[in-house]
Amino acid sequence: MTDSDAARRDILRAIRENLKPRGIAPRSAEPVQSTADPGPAARGSPPGLRPGSVGPVERASPDAVTRFKAQLAAVGAQCTLACGEPDAARALARILTDAGARRVVGSDAPLVQRLLSTLGHDFVRESLDRLSRDDLFACEAGVTTAQWGIAETGTLVLESARERSRLLSLVPPIHVAVLSTRCICESLGDALDRVRQAASHAITFITGPSRTSDIELTLVVGVHGPQTVHVLLLEDV
Amino acid sequence: MSFDRDARTALADGQLRGALRHATTLFGERRRAAIADVPDWEDARDRARAIKDETLLHLDRYLEQFVANAEGAGARVHWARDAAQACDIIAGIAERRGARTVVKSKSMASEEIRLNAALAARGIAAVETDLGEYIVQLAGEEPSHIVVPAIHKTKGQIAALFAAKLGMEPSDDVTRLAAAARQALRRRFAEADLGVSGVNFAVAETGTILILENEGNARLTTSLPRTHVALMGIEKVIPRFADLEVFLRLLPRSGTGQALTAYQSLLTGTKRQPVDEGPEELHIVLLDNGRSRMLASPVTRQTLACIRCGACLNACPVYRQIGGHAYGSVYPGPIGAVLTPQLLGMGESAELPYASSLCGACRDVCPVKIDIPAVLLHLRAQTVARRASIGTRALLERLAFSAYAAVMARPRLFEWVMGCARAVHIVPPLGAWTKWRDLRPLAPRSFRDEWRAGLHETEGS
Repeated sequence: MTDSDAARRDILRAIRENLKPRGIAPRSAEPVQSTADPGPAARGSPPGLRPGSVGPVERASPDAVTRFKAQLAAVGAQCTLACGEPDAARALARILTDAGARRVVGSDAPLVQRLLSTLGHDFVRESLDRLSRDDLFACEAGVTTAQWGIAETGTLVLESARERSRLLSLVPPIHVAVLSTRCICESLGDALDRVRQAASHAITFITGPSRTSDIELTLVVGVHGPQTVHVLLLEDV
Repeated sequence: MSFDRDARTALADGQLRGALRHATTLFGERRRAAIADVPDWEDARDRARAIKDETLLHLDRYLEQFVANAEGAGARVHWARDAAQACDIIAGIAERRGARTVVKSKSMASEEIRLNAALAARGIAAVETDLGEYIVQLAGEEPSHIVVPAIHKTKGQIAALFAAKLGMEPSDDVTRLAAAARQALRRRFAEADLGVSGVNFAVAETGTILILENEGNARLTTSLPRTHVALMGIEKVIPRFADLEVFLRLLPRSGTGQALTAYQSLLTGTKRQPVDEGPEELHIVLLDNGRSRMLASPVTRQTLACIRCGACLNACPVYRQIGGHAYGSVYPGPIGAVLTPQLLGMGESAELPYASSLCGACRDVCPVKIDIPAVLLHLRAQTVARRASIGTRALLERLAFSAYAAVMARPRLFEWVMGCARAVHIVPPLGAWTKWRDLRPLAPRSFRDEWRAGLHETEGS
């Protein structure tokens, strides 16, 4: 028996001993599934997470889009609305130019690749596959999609099972996230329902730029993560 | 009495008290503004507490469920009875992975087990990456607030510190200070072999761990190095994925007054394919360190419902005056005053439960409705019970209170005693109570006498 096994046995025993009723109130009814059957865990797939993605919200209410945009502004994120891909490509070039970003890296999402392929020679496009840590640190902008938006809080939701966006949305000082207006959920609860069904090992919720108030409670953005979060809201035509 | 001494030192520090007043007041205002937008705030508090209560009552099985699911998704789970074992486990992982530099995101549990010192003793450098923690580490100090660790330092002091340690040009510009830290820490992230984080919530039904933050350093810590070690107290587990919603509504609003912090990372096991981003290994260290003991009584058990938001610190009239260091423990403020003695044993910090006026402000702001004053009283009673078997002071105290009880229970005797006291003009010395307070002299006539006389007059007229 290893140390950790012995500790496991001791800790679980200590928990059970301490929870033993002492002649007062009995422990409440048992809400937990029997642990005799560890469930899907033993069968190798992450339990509770059904593989496969879910479709977009049937049709996000115009109200949700408005609220989402208002919340983005409230948390210090930028937002540009585009209709269709050609418009989005032009908007992306403008966003990057205005931000002064030249070295750009995009995720493996086909939409991002299509948009980046239209960028002119003013930009240096890094490839995600050949990117060393130092190269990544030298990039000025990361372009990804977001799987969901949350209207209630102005939050972007990124799922690792759908796209390699974990580092691109974090390391470069500018993060541009392309989000379909059809993928805006009303509330945090709605978004949690949706991500639970995709088997992502990493789900990231992003609300505005990286921020700190650790020095005299003065707000500074861009301390470890991006200073600028720009949402490119894509309306289907 | 180190608390007594340290509290006095803090009270004499005008700069510290100014900083504390500013910070705690601002946090209080932000919190109030944030919860004003939530119509069902009280309901959310009740639901969150009910979830915690349910979990704690069945902690053994929720832990086993969490472990089975986390391991099923590729994580490795380690169990640690105490601080030393947890440090050994983490140092062992670092050594096996050949890690020389460890980057850390903010984790109160890692402070609790003194992980940095343990790693340093094995020749491994642990670098704090949260800006506040980084400042505190550079200064060789301890965090003084759960949410903003360097709350006690001015930007002038931080500028001098960065000038000395990072060689930056002295500047009072907070943006430049943050940029200097970002640059210095980027180099550390680039070379780090292992990342250590805490855990805010661990979901039993999916094996997911959730980490909240604002800076992005926790995301870097958990996604750049090849190995991620997540350290969590055994009480962090919650039953269902959907339960995250209510806690995410409560925690940021209570802590910083935000509707949501900038980032939440929900991590379930390790990456599925080599091409995926993220660490190759995820190790989850489950820490007991005195927590299972707290399950024994409903009063102490509620301590384990704490979600470490820090609202009770900002609301506490004692913390607001003396700050975190005077508590002499990793966890300061009202929650620290109940948590520390229970984690370390009463012998270590028996004075902390007395570091409160029992005003109840902590209970009012607690997002999971922990009745901190009740726990404080419970711990005080334990201290007294322990002392009762030893020393003449305890004996005198017991005699005094027995006599007090006897007098108070007998109206005639009470009047006679009070009459005597009034006749000789003495107020009994009440120890520490009267050391800092003036007890008003007894009135020449008692209220009872006045009342009887007054009634008489009314009846007579």
